[in-house]
Amino acid sequence: MNTYASSNRFSSVIWLLLMVLTLTTFAIGEAGMAGSGAMLGLLLIALVKGQIVANYFMGLRHVAFGWRAVILAYFLLVGGLIALAYRWA
Amino acid sequence: MNTQVLVIDPAAGLAREARAPREEGLPGDFAIWIFILAEMLAFGVLFVAYAFTRAGDVELFNASQETLNRTAGAINTLVLITSSYFVMRAVTAIKHGLSKDCAWWLGAALMLGGVFVGIKAMEFHDKFAAGITLSTNSFYMFYLALTFFHFMHVLMGMIILAFVIAKAWRGGYSRQDHVGVETGASFWHMVDLLWIILFPLVYVIR
Repeated sequence: MNTYASSNRFSSVIWLLLMVLTLTTFAIGEAGMAGSGAMLGLLLIALVKGQIVANYFMGLRHVAFGWRAVILAYFLLVGGLIALAYRWA
Repeated sequence: MNTQVLVIDPAAGLAREARAPREEGLPGDFAIWIFILAEMLAFGVLFVAYAFTRAGDVELFNASQETLNRTAGAINTLVLITSSYFVMRAVTAIKHGLSKDCAWWLGAALMLGGVFVGIKAMEFHDKFAAGITLSTNSFYMFYLALTFFHFMHVLMGMIILAFVIAKAWRGGYSRQDHVGVETGASFWHMVDLLWIILFPLVYVIR
């Protein structure tokens, strides 16, 4: 049961981190921050949250690297194209 | 020389193998992963299309975005992430053979899915009451299409979770056999993953 308890403790910390990152995104919006810096910061937060959900919630950290790379590449590609469109505007 | 190469200490080899990190297959049924990637691709195209369409009329997009209920969007993000956390706890529980605990965690996740749907329905109601439709402008077209498309995935995820809960409650899964729980969980996490991009993109970034 020890591994069960420690694994649950770890996942609770991960959940708390995701809550803090979400509130950071919200706070950036409420502060009315705009421009390249804010945009890149928000996309970076989304990337970090996506990686945490994929690796720890979905459990991809236990599978072959290729699958984790697919999710990371997805966030980098979609986020990169969004950033490009915002810079281009 | 060759014999020297072939004579390897088997005990050392086993020790190395034991220390090597455990690598598992994808959680759940492989078919759900094909579906997950297809859905993520479809949403990805829409996310990028939103960003490039915005580039053509930044003022309109920024002004329309101001009318969205950012607080509701943020609460829904917290709700969805927490539900994903509950689903993860359900998977951990069944991996330890705790069938009833698994069902309870999934039930809590399903309840939060209901909260998400309720808040989103309220948002849709407010927009429709203000006379906003898909044809109001291109921002609202993307906002309504993206969030409604996602909303349908939440509903589908809730139906999947309900089936998994019923089976878990009857003791249909075990420590050894819980592919169904992982399949439902993977779909639910995907719904969360998509919202993690959708929320900042449509509600916050300007």
